[in-house]
Amino acid sequence: MGQLLQQLLNGLTIGSFYALIALGYTMVYGVLKLINFAHGDLFMLGAYLGLVTLMSLVVSMGLSANLLVFMLIFVIVMAVVGGVGIVLERIAYRPLYKAGRLPAIVSALGASIFLQNGVMLLYGARYRTFPEEFKTAVPEVMWTFAGARLTLMQVLMLIISFLLMAALYFFVNYTRVGTAMRAVALDHDTARLMGIDVNRIIALVFVIGPALGAAGGIMVGLFYGRIYFTLGWSYGLKAFTAAILGGIGNIPGAMVGGLLLGLIEALATGFVSDAWKNAIAFFILVIILILRPTGLLGERVAEKL
Amino acid sequence: MKDFRARLRNLDKRGWYLILGIMVLLFPVIVRSDRWVQVANFFFIYAMLGLSLNIILGYAGLFQLGHAAFYAVGAYTTAILSTHFGVPIFVALPISGLLAAIFAILISRPILHLRGDYLCIVTIGFGEIVRIALRNDVSSLVFLAKIPGLALLKEKLTTMVITGGPNGIMGIARPRILGFVFRQQWHYFYLFLAFVAFTIFAMRRLENSRLGRAWTCVREDELAAEAMGIDTVRVKLLAFAIGAAWAGVAGSLYASWVTVIAPESFSFWESVIMFCIVVLGGTGSIPGVLVGTIGMVVLPELLREVLLNIQQWRMLIFGAAMIFMMVVRPEGLWPSQRFRRELELAREMAVPGS
Amino acid sequence: MSRKLLVPLAIVLLTSLVLTGCPKKAAEPIKIGLQAPITGEYAYEGEGFVKCVELVTEQINAAGGILGGRKIEIVKCDDVGKPDESSKCANQLVSAGVAAVIGSYSSTCTEPASEIYNEAGILQITPSSTATRLSQKGFKRFFRVCFLDDRQGLFAAKFMLEKLGADTAVFLHDNSTYAKGLAEWAEKYYKEAGGNSLLIDAINPEDTDFRPILTKIKELGPKAVYFTGYHPQGGLLLKQSKELGTEFKWVMGNACNNPELVEIAGLDAAKGTYITTEPLPKDIPGDAAKKFYNDFVAKYGEPPASIWWVMSADALNVIVEAMKATNSTDSEKMAEYLHTKFKDYPGVTGNIIGFDEKGDRLGTVHEAYVITDTGEFEMVK
Repeated sequence: MGQLLQQLLNGLTIGSFYALIALGYTMVYGVLKLINFAHGDLFMLGAYLGLVTLMSLVVSMGLSANLLVFMLIFVIVMAVVGGVGIVLERIAYRPLYKAGRLPAIVSALGASIFLQNGVMLLYGARYRTFPEEFKTAVPEVMWTFAGARLTLMQVLMLIISFLLMAALYFFVNYTRVGTAMRAVALDHDTARLMGIDVNRIIALVFVIGPALGAAGGIMVGLFYGRIYFTLGWSYGLKAFTAAILGGIGNIPGAMVGGLLLGLIEALATGFVSDAWKNAIAFFILVIILILRPTGLLGERVAEKL
Repeated sequence: MKDFRARLRNLDKRGWYLILGIMVLLFPVIVRSDRWVQVANFFFIYAMLGLSLNIILGYAGLFQLGHAAFYAVGAYTTAILSTHFGVPIFVALPISGLLAAIFAILISRPILHLRGDYLCIVTIGFGEIVRIALRNDVSSLVFLAKIPGLALLKEKLTTMVITGGPNGIMGIARPRILGFVFRQQWHYFYLFLAFVAFTIFAMRRLENSRLGRAWTCVREDELAAEAMGIDTVRVKLLAFAIGAAWAGVAGSLYASWVTVIAPESFSFWESVIMFCIVVLGGTGSIPGVLVGTIGMVVLPELLREVLLNIQQWRMLIFGAAMIFMMVVRPEGLWPSQRFRRELELAREMAVPGS
Repeated sequence: MSRKLLVPLAIVLLTSLVLTGCPKKAAEPIKIGLQAPITGEYAYEGEGFVKCVELVTEQINAAGGILGGRKIEIVKCDDVGKPDESSKCANQLVSAGVAAVIGSYSSTCTEPASEIYNEAGILQITPSSTATRLSQKGFKRFFRVCFLDDRQGLFAAKFMLEKLGADTAVFLHDNSTYAKGLAEWAEKYYKEAGGNSLLIDAINPEDTDFRPILTKIKELGPKAVYFTGYHPQGGLLLKQSKELGTEFKWVMGNACNNPELVEIAGLDAAKGTYITTEPLPKDIPGDAAKKFYNDFVAKYGEPPASIWWVMSADALNVIVEAMKATNSTDSEKMAEYLHTKFKDYPGVTGNIIGFDEKGDRLGTVHEAYVITDTGEFEMVK
């Protein structure tokens, strides 16, 4: 019983990160029908930039590691990675929108390789760790019930990711720009006729998606304390799976898919075998998709290749 | 000399093909380096893989991003048949192709109705499941013994070795014909060349066959194809089966060439390379796949030579090159005529009134 | 022959003449290959190989080279830590005309390369591939300056049972050739010595969250856990294990022998962890080792991070020593010398007693370390 509860908590934590990254996939897909395979690497870039700004603000400039500083770091890094997202869209994707969907995917894969190796060259091939003093910035409080443990850090991470997801949900559903975004997702041409600047909306999507990914990157960095330049590859594939599981293009779907994937992984490890965990997760994904061909929550339009 | 230049200019298509053909035939003699003959051999293997994926992705338009699974099934079948049962390579070769095809039919039947990106993640999933299974081997299934009634299996499971786990399988026999054993890189060069030539020939026939036209129809408009009386399920299954069979044969050749195989050689990354080969070269185009293979397999090797002491820059440049090639030629480096026409049509439609 | 065919034929002949006609210059420096994962998953180890090998090369060349003033030139090749790339690397280095090769890092990469070097007749010394089966193929020119997995497994099993008194244990690896081998050897010896193995499972090295498997182990309640994977995952295991409040003792294999383990885990979580390993760079006895350690710090501003880095320096040292002793760059002669006459060389990884007939380094130097309250690695007496 204790184990089951603990595994559910574990799965929830893992899944909330997946969900946060999956949002980036799903938003870009919703608007462009493009699988942005470089999204995982933007997430990784966020983790590295998070460490770099943290070091320069706290260690070099001597600011104390308080809430305000952390918020500042989130803002800076999310803005920078959002900017990288725009540049990426301009250079690698925009020239390819008319060419069908496959070329853009190859371009995205190229961008993924480029970002990964760029970060490796810039910050070195070593694993990087967040210094000890940041780990103690959050007091080590924990709660124990029925043999399961929950730390304050875990709770904080869950709260931040849910806040970000909720913010995005309200932004897309209850603001003018969000409405425009949904209109573009439905039909580019009609949206253009309605006076929506489609290119600006696409650019906006390429800011918000990567920025959320970057936030996920900083959180993963802070939470686990260790980052590496191939981090985006493994998290990216997981998050993409989560987005598909929930129904790609569907924002609540990405959240549900992420959390579910995290839970499946934790339970598969706990009650079967860690070595087979990913195989089990993919197997369940296949079964779900056979039964529900457009994911758990479904997407609006089924598009052909 | 003037005369020679004039002749050169007058050379028709057949003449150029002839030059190319002779150059390829003489390649090992010309370069006289095991390294470049080996790169050529990798080129052949990936060209076969690219051509096989081209059936599924290019002709039938099925979004397949887990092709390494079929490659792995072929390679491991040959490896197991060769090391456990002493089956000669050229006997194991067709069996490997057949098994890969059966495997493809079994897994693709339930997922054929999935569209676009859903099919993509499911094929990635199957690719990963295969790799994980190979990597874990049966002995790691010992947890099954906890299930009541299966306890007897425990002893058997822990001692059983089939795929060799992360170590893979070594000591795969080399191919032999009438007492001649393929050993050197250049031996394999001609063996693979023959297979690739045959593949190209077969693909050309397939492209213009009844089945090939049916694939095009299904790709263009599945509903219309169905209305025209095409059995879309059968046609798609055939695409998977034939594509997988060819990938299986490539895997079998690969296994007999390197004689040591490990699960790492069949990772998601391999599927990505095959996918990029097809799209980069020009989806649905046979010469395109060959050019794409040069871009994805030979280019990194050339970069290795050029960047002597800055090896760490290699993949960065390669990634940028991928974006560059795609942006400059979205239709692929050597697109098929049909795809090029479609693209132009799409462009015209996209800008109304121009 | 028709005249139409003449033009193509002439082109082919001309090109082949141009391509084959380049004369080869007499090679003044001695080329030695370094095959390492310079990019990819194990890039931090590859980087260390390059640093160490370049340091030694610099020193030798500054001292006037060897064999009558010939300089050493290192030809690098990046195998990305993947077996396919590794075989391409091997052929590239063979074509480059290297006299001997250092590499590669992981056993998975060393294996396919060793076949090619063997066929080409080139001496190969791996600094770090410890999988037992590598030296069981009868390759006459294959050597290693590291020690084998099974001996470490035996040491670890005994250490857990006798020193720690842990009669129940869990074995955890990461499904790499090396880590799986070590875990299985350790489990085998552990069971033979009367220990009770509760579970052997593999983590996925690309993961960052290991709470699920740790929760499972906590439930099983072993007295010790032996982890044979690499330190980046080891550090996270320790960190998360502490957060979950587990009570067993951690023992880790030599791939966790790296100060970064403590950095990743955090001091609190890392202290009290045991590590079975060859001695750390700073603890290696002998003047040569001390001097190398200091030179390395002087040049790069940090100590060598792992034992494998230093091993790569010794791989080069052994090659150079063999060249000097045989006064040639012939792999056949060097291998013969290393098998028979090479004895008690003061290496930078300690005294190299010699090599056995399979090319494996003689002796065993495994020690248990414990991480102290200040984060130092201290030898367990």
